Amino acid sequence: MTHWLEQFVHWSAGFGLNYNFLLDAYQRGTLGQGALTTVLLCLLTIIGSLLAGVGLAAMLTSGKPWLTRPARVFVEVTRNTPTLVQLYCAFLVLNMLLTEAVGAANPLTPFAWVVIVISLHKGAFHAEALRAGIEAVPTVTLEAASSLAFNNRQLLWNVQLPLALRFALPALINNLIDLVKMTAVASAIAVGDITYAAIMIWTQSDNVLELMILILGFFGLLSFTVNCVGRWLEARLRMPGYGH
Amino acid sequence: MSLERSPVKRLLPVLLGALVSLSTVHLAHADATLDKMEQRHALVVGVLLSGGPFGGIDPATQKPRGFNVDLAQELGRQLGAEVQLVPVLPANRVQFLQQGKVDLLIANMEWTAERGEILGFVPTPFYRVGGTAAVLKDSKISRWEDLKNQPVCTSQGSSYIKPLTELGVEIKAFKSSSESLLALRGNNCVAAVHDATLINPLVAENPEWQGYRALSPELNPAPSVIWTRKGESDTQAKLDPIIQQLHRSGWLIEAQTRNRITPASPALVELQKQFQANGA
Amino acid sequence: MAIDSSVVLPRAWPRRHIGKLLLGVGALCALGYFAQHSPVLKALLQWSPALAAGFGQNILISLLAIGSGSVAGLLVGAMVVSPLRVLRWPARLWVQVFRNAPWLVLIYFTTYVFPFEIRIGSAYVAFPDWVKVTLGLALPASANVAEIFRGAIASIPSTQWEAARSLAFSRGQIFRSIILPQCFKRMLPPWMNLYAVITMGTALASLVGVHDVIDTAQIASNTVNQTGFTVVIYLSLLVLFFAYCYPISRLTQYLERRYAFY
Repeated sequence: MTHWLEQFVHWSAGFGLNYNFLLDAYQRGTLGQGALTTVLLCLLTIIGSLLAGVGLAAMLTSGKPWLTRPARVFVEVTRNTPTLVQLYCAFLVLNMLLTEAVGAANPLTPFAWVVIVISLHKGAFHAEALRAGIEAVPTVTLEAASSLAFNNRQLLWNVQLPLALRFALPALINNLIDLVKMTAVASAIAVGDITYAAIMIWTQSDNVLELMILILGFFGLLSFTVNCVGRWLEARLRMPGYGH
Repeated sequence: MSLERSPVKRLLPVLLGALVSLSTVHLAHADATLDKMEQRHALVVGVLLSGGPFGGIDPATQKPRGFNVDLAQELGRQLGAEVQLVPVLPANRVQFLQQGKVDLLIANMEWTAERGEILGFVPTPFYRVGGTAAVLKDSKISRWEDLKNQPVCTSQGSSYIKPLTELGVEIKAFKSSSESLLALRGNNCVAAVHDATLINPLVAENPEWQGYRALSPELNPAPSVIWTRKGESDTQAKLDPIIQQLHRSGWLIEAQTRNRITPASPALVELQKQFQANGA
Repeated sequence: MAIDSSVVLPRAWPRRHIGKLLLGVGALCALGYFAQHSPVLKALLQWSPALAAGFGQNILISLLAIGSGSVAGLLVGAMVVSPLRVLRWPARLWVQVFRNAPWLVLIYFTTYVFPFEIRIGSAYVAFPDWVKVTLGLALPASANVAEIFRGAIASIPSTQWEAARSLAFSRGQIFRSIILPQCFKRMLPPWMNLYAVITMGTALASLVGVHDVIDTAQIASNTVNQTGFTVVIYLSLLVLFFAYCYPISRLTQYLERRYAFY
């Protein structure tokens, strides 16, 4: 491991890049920890955003105005304001008010706030994709199913949702790739993700460029992984004669 | 997708790196700041505008104001140069100075041995300040050592990060003091460590900070100095008598009163006496 | 344009919105009235010119970023669809790299890596931070515009190519007189969507120290130091961005419906 690293540092020095900080155990540890935090953040927000998206989509397509209206307002506000401002509003303002209300019992950490805010933010985008998917299920299919004595519940779980999911999948995967990139804003509220770890290193020493290339490579790898898993899912779920 | 292997990506950093190093090499001639000031009649000063008496903006005119800004303007007036103010963050101020984007830093940056090694500075300080921690009144923390293994909020690039790390504190560093203080009130850390000039007036006067107290003694009290690039001794030699004169004439104490910095620093009075005795 | 006439502007549009407009004006009046009595709103009024100036900076960055990003993006997009591999290959790489990089990291990249001034002859041209942020946003914008362009061209049915070729049009002629005119219409909605996203992306500028609306709000919050004011100023950030981006998104949806005739 260290042997490889030394070789890499030596090799990159040939291009005028100084990767010496990788040989320092403490700084390498910080970066590694940051990378792990980013991966954990991605996993939790992917799950959280999908749950939020399904919930919001259910509200949007429920046909009951008292559910549809608030969901619609939430989706529009979320889609038309910057994530960073949402994060500040939640972490700096809501969290302060919450603490004033309940005192030291407030259990929410910066990490938890990032997971909540990004999940809800991307959930709004998922909801739109899922809604489009649900609405794209042909009515004749639903009629055919109900003539086969499916009840409403079965109709939803066995016919409507599986078809909607297949229709919405490409958009969902795009949203998830966006989500992976979005986790970088966590650094703004001192969550120790890879961007934050890099900032802490480059404020001490002058190696911005090297760290930037490292981070870009790391995020490239992450979104590539999400993309591959997504394409695999799409291929697996493909039904002849339906969807893309 | 593979960023490292493509020829474009491989060349880009080399090119950019070369560009950056060229520009710094070019500016690192024997005292480039004075040369530049004479050529362009401009003095580029980095100031910290985080709100508060040292540096903020005037809501009506959107112009920077505060103690740092007044001092920069006064230096420019005495040197006969037009002052261009560049807002800096604690996280990027050293880089801006090293790159040559700013010529001087008047940015609440205290003298430390590490900074003294990589940067140059005007020997006479214009202020003296240490760090203090805002903590909840009923918290058990009474000494700095009590912060060990506890989450503490501060700003990125702050000079207190190093002593705090040595105490074994878990640091949460934000972009500026504004976020750090809000995070403290959101109970995300047990203490927020900043300059005493920021924390003391808050806990002393602001009714919303009644539930908090400041930790004493001050952490690493150090002189606030004007920073230059390393080796710019001509600039330092030119600025040093000006600062001494500002002490002697009481201009700095006046600026402190004018910007409502409370409590008034005893160090300024001390320095005034010292230079009044030496000078004349 | 006989097809278009079937999708006309809904007549009730202005009438539906008059109520909302009146409500907004009323709310503003009430705000102005109560502002004299509440210290929080008074402080907000006092800081509102500074906030407006800050938001102007955000809008300037977003306009320049989408402008330069579109020009670059169309060039890259043209390269992506070119039949020559030498052109196609680097263009694809460009799109891949800049579509998959987090914007925040790109902004850090351009701010910290690019020089602060450029020397042309004996003159120094300053390269201020907000221009660097604009570049940092223009890079992903160009990659996205290229992708939108490619998608628009791919969405034109291939039968049109075949039909035009059978009428002895050359490749360039087909592009200029058949494909491109249809493309621009299809590109407009996603392009506007991209613009709204870039406007929201300008919020990241505050993290590298550009004096924008968020930076202004934080200075204000730190200067006034009152919980009520902090809540109000952060909420007004949400309102400002929403008021600018929501109309764009509505217009995008309207255009999407209007042009959805294929």
